[in-house]
Amino acid sequence: MADMKPWGERYLTGTDVQRLDGEDKVTGRAKYTYDLNFPGMLYGKILRSQHPHAKVIKVDLTRAAAHPGVKAVFDFEKQTVRYAGEEVAAIAAVSPEVADEALKLIDVTYEKLPFSVREETSMAEGAAQIHPNGNVAMDERRQSEKGDTVAGFAEADAVIEKTYRVPVQTHTSLETHGAVAQWDGDKLTVWSSTQGVVGVRDDLAKYFDLPPENVRVLCEHMGGGFGSKFGPGAEGVAASVLARSAGVPVKLMLNRKEEHLAVGNRPSAIMTIKMGAKKDGKITAFESQTYGTGGVGGIGNIPLPYVFDIANYKSELKDVHINAGGSRAMRAPGHPQAEIGMDCAMDALADAVGMDPLAFRKANGSRANEIRLKQYDIGAKEIGWERRNKVAGSAKGPVKRGIGMGCGMWGGGGNKRSYVEVQIHSDGTVDAKCAIQDIGTGSRTILAMTVAEELGLTLDQVTPHVGDTNFPPGTGSGGSSTTPSMVPAAKTAARKAKGELLALVAPLLGVDAAMLETRQGQIQVKGNGKSMSWTNATAQLASDIVVTANRDDGYHSSGAAGVHFAEVEVDIETGRIQPIKIVAVNDCGLVVNKLLAESQVNGGVIGGLSYALLENRLLDRQTGVMVNPNMEAYKVAGAMEMPEIVPILMDMPERGVIGLGEPATIPTAGALANAVYNAIGVWVTDFPMTPDKVLNALAQG
Amino acid sequence: MNAFEYVNPSNLQDVPKLLSQKRDRKSVVMAGGIDLLGEMKDNLVSPTRLVNIKALDLRYIRHSKEGVHIGATTTLTEVASDGEIGKTYTALAEAAESVASLQIRNVGTIGGNLCQRPRCWYYRGEEFHCLKKGGHLCFAVEGENKYHAIMGGGPCHIVHPSDTAPALIALQATLKIQGPNGERTVPAADFFVLPEENIYQETVLMPNEVVSELFVPKPKAGTKSTYLKFKEKGSMDFALAAAAVVLRVEDGICRAAQVVLGGVAPKPWQADASALVGQSVTEDRAVAFANAVLKDASPLRDNAFKVTLVKTMIKRGVMALV
Amino acid sequence: MKQEPNPLEKESGISRRTFLQGIGAGAAATGLLTVAAPPQTADAKEAYGTSVGPNATQVTLKINGTEHRTAVEPRHTLLDVMRQKLDITGPKPICERGSCGGCTVMLDKQPIYSCMMLAIDAVGKEITTVEGLSKDGELDPVQKAFVQHDAQMCGFCTPGFVVSVRALLDRNPNPTLNDVKKAVSGNTCRCGTYPRIFEAALTAAKLQRGGV
Repeated sequence: MADMKPWGERYLTGTDVQRLDGEDKVTGRAKYTYDLNFPGMLYGKILRSQHPHAKVIKVDLTRAAAHPGVKAVFDFEKQTVRYAGEEVAAIAAVSPEVADEALKLIDVTYEKLPFSVREETSMAEGAAQIHPNGNVAMDERRQSEKGDTVAGFAEADAVIEKTYRVPVQTHTSLETHGAVAQWDGDKLTVWSSTQGVVGVRDDLAKYFDLPPENVRVLCEHMGGGFGSKFGPGAEGVAASVLARSAGVPVKLMLNRKEEHLAVGNRPSAIMTIKMGAKKDGKITAFESQTYGTGGVGGIGNIPLPYVFDIANYKSELKDVHINAGGSRAMRAPGHPQAEIGMDCAMDALADAVGMDPLAFRKANGSRANEIRLKQYDIGAKEIGWERRNKVAGSAKGPVKRGIGMGCGMWGGGGNKRSYVEVQIHSDGTVDAKCAIQDIGTGSRTILAMTVAEELGLTLDQVTPHVGDTNFPPGTGSGGSSTTPSMVPAAKTAARKAKGELLALVAPLLGVDAAMLETRQGQIQVKGNGKSMSWTNATAQLASDIVVTANRDDGYHSSGAAGVHFAEVEVDIETGRIQPIKIVAVNDCGLVVNKLLAESQVNGGVIGGLSYALLENRLLDRQTGVMVNPNMEAYKVAGAMEMPEIVPILMDMPERGVIGLGEPATIPTAGALANAVYNAIGVWVTDFPMTPDKVLNALAQG
Repeated sequence: MNAFEYVNPSNLQDVPKLLSQKRDRKSVVMAGGIDLLGEMKDNLVSPTRLVNIKALDLRYIRHSKEGVHIGATTTLTEVASDGEIGKTYTALAEAAESVASLQIRNVGTIGGNLCQRPRCWYYRGEEFHCLKKGGHLCFAVEGENKYHAIMGGGPCHIVHPSDTAPALIALQATLKIQGPNGERTVPAADFFVLPEENIYQETVLMPNEVVSELFVPKPKAGTKSTYLKFKEKGSMDFALAAAAVVLRVEDGICRAAQVVLGGVAPKPWQADASALVGQSVTEDRAVAFANAVLKDASPLRDNAFKVTLVKTMIKRGVMALV
Repeated sequence: MKQEPNPLEKESGISRRTFLQGIGAGAAATGLLTVAAPPQTADAKEAYGTSVGPNATQVTLKINGTEHRTAVEPRHTLLDVMRQKLDITGPKPICERGSCGGCTVMLDKQPIYSCMMLAIDAVGKEITTVEGLSKDGELDPVQKAFVQHDAQMCGFCTPGFVVSVRALLDRNPNPTLNDVKKAVSGNTCRCGTYPRIFEAALTAAKLQRGGV
């Protein structure tokens, strides 16, 4: 890791700063892609396969195209469809009602093929092949081995073996995927609900064989992505093609059912974990066999063993295909699944050696262990770990309380792909531009904060601009990379722009530019009282200072930990789990905006809670169709599910900016599962932990 | 949604005529519209005429010494917040309050709550041509059936989704129905049908009839009632299991009992509560009673847990009133 | 509760003949299928009451104190008419089935799901959306409190929550935390702003009372 640069005086970063677009959002002024209305705009809609696996023999758009209200049609030219919900064709029509009717006029001939919507069905001996790459992939790179597990298990004082099953989860972004596309000659403008305006631009330019400057992508506000909104998607491509064909703007937004079927999901994981430890808590061996599905896509990686240092391990991962929508990155891909398996196994093994699970974890090294050790103590104190049942399930029922914990890890650290342009104007105002997007994390706010602080200004003197590919390129908002990419870039550009201004006014103050610094709206000579106001300095500018830069090293690093503690109440006569309190201790290096960062932690905790307790993408085995593609039966946590949430952020400026969005969601589900075990004395290993699962676990004893 | 004409009838007696003018359920009643619009958006039904009974004077709560008359288009919020209903017909107030969310209760009507169609995801999914929709198969039998019936099911295994229905049956309510030949009265207990009687609908209401009013007789002095609803998602959900309980206890002895279950069967399930009558109510007796009620439950592959859950609801419902 | 006189009679005020003459033009303008629009049923209209549709009629919708005159078909929901015809885009389409609260508006002060209400059923009522809460550029206390507590992240659920909280405080100016949770149980947030929405609601109650 490079040497860290001095950050300078922090009077904005690390404090609570209200997000700059809060007022727009609470007044309804904020415009999202779904809100846009243009004169003459058409409504696009996609026809999707109802079959989970079929050859597409013929797609006949004639009748649809002949309808007077239909102005453009598009064939995705699929030869085979591999899940119920896969796109086949699209139309653009004068109203949403006509669009719906027009879909019924598209004639598609299918030849149905055998399908599988269960991992076990795909893996069965003699199963029909449902994916061109084969039903199961066992990739060498996802088999990892170290040391000698045979010896390791032999020296263990206790060994546990358990299987954990976590389901497929859908992103359920509230604003669905979609775009508005408009052509002007060979120039395309697309308003996209996206986490990456630059990526959408690049992909569309490639698709239409245009130079990138011919395509402009805009996203001022977007209603959530969680990893699913990268690239134009079938909807963005269709909207653009239809718009070109029709010669007017086309808006194509998915509906809620399509959103559940066709725009990604978090893969499932069935993890069989065997782990052994000595009486002193030291883990001596670990073995896991995992399989899961990303539908027609891949499972990615489920990183086991997770977080903890184990000398002897062997882990194997099978990537199983089923006929379902392909996976897409979803907030910390692979980690929440691994965390559930690992943290539940840790507690089971701690139990087996007769150790408290917190002490058990402390007895083993872990990723980012130094920070983690502090997090253990902070969190344990806040939750009141000493109140935890010494014997699981020992409380008097029927409503029993329990406390548990979970651990996460994340890389972060961003990339060099964000460029920030800082413009200093002669009236003293400053503009900062970057083609990132604010997906609800507060990026535009921290862009302004970083620049203002570097320049010694108040926040209102800097105006941030994001969400437009006309600005210098920005990174896609994934991997928790926006802050560590953009903030250091903003700081670098601001520092350089400041340097130009200081060089200009140094003679006026009679010193070398190196003697000057900005502070509290002044250009000051270090050490003595001489100063000049910022606005007097900028008044000297004959033209704007404009500096564009990506990040210098020294303002960021990588490697975050994260430890969450949960307290639950479980009613053993109904199976209901009620979360009572969750303490989330997270680190992210330098905390840029404490208010917004805490919101991220709250959000991560709630995502983990919902995953642990409620969510399940369920496919009917008989037809291969999703039975719950709506928000009534695909259940997302609401107000009554909320515990008290205590986000505790360690502000470590010496580490620079790291990233927080994903670390904040990883440890919660396992913490809840462990709390449930502590409450009722039986393990629920089948997720989500809905009442039926709890009652079943209790019945089995 | 498909296009339709929207008719505001001038009087209740015209409604059956307006419904009869189209066949195949193409002319339907529209009250709050919460269930109907959902069905239309899901392409389950495509009526070309909606008969807007909100245009009639059916939104009222009239208390008398005999009981309470509630017009069919009275909203669930109005039922839930009526003080006298809360005091005297508590199970009904609690049931109405438990429905969905405030936004739904402000629009959804009590008549609609009784007449709503099932939530079974095979019924609601247009890809599934199930028995109830005239198809060949009940997909729940071999399919995803954790939410389905544990009693009274077959050949269709839905659970009736209404919260107010179990309460109204337990309170011995009657419904007034307007049909082409005039008015008829049906006890709430007889309003619902099992699939084996009629698989295509959940009530005795014919396509050209409309529920106009409910009457709930005033319970005898000393009667208490409650509606306990268990939801998988506490914020907003249909009942995974529910129990409406009405008890009259005098001098420590139970003189009358009604227990009606929701979320367990294709219609609200009226238990035989006579075992509770004539003795004091204790937890042991409540448990024994619950076990007896569920004795002949026949769960499907994934819903055996409901047996335990429902026994808890019965026990807690009964004990809440003593 | 006596039902009010049918607002459609007041609003449309056009004869059946004019209505039928207008059908062709109306269909083209709204892009209706020329194929399947069912015929006006003479029986229904003349003998048994008034009827509108299936073609569009002009109605007046009173939204945030302003009367909007627009053509709606009976099948158009209030949400769609606001967003597509009147460019009132605060209320959001999220689940479109009345299960998530994104489209919450007030109808005569009561929170409802506008995606599950026919626009014609909203005629004659006072509709309040999130846009109608601030007065003369001054934020409503609920809006102020949301901003203060960072009760919005991506913001897509925010209009629905703000309206639900505003409606709560109109009903109950002194709610407990549990009252707040119950009042917003019909609203869903995916980013996870609930804890701060609860805080904002309680702060807004204090702000209204002149405190904080």
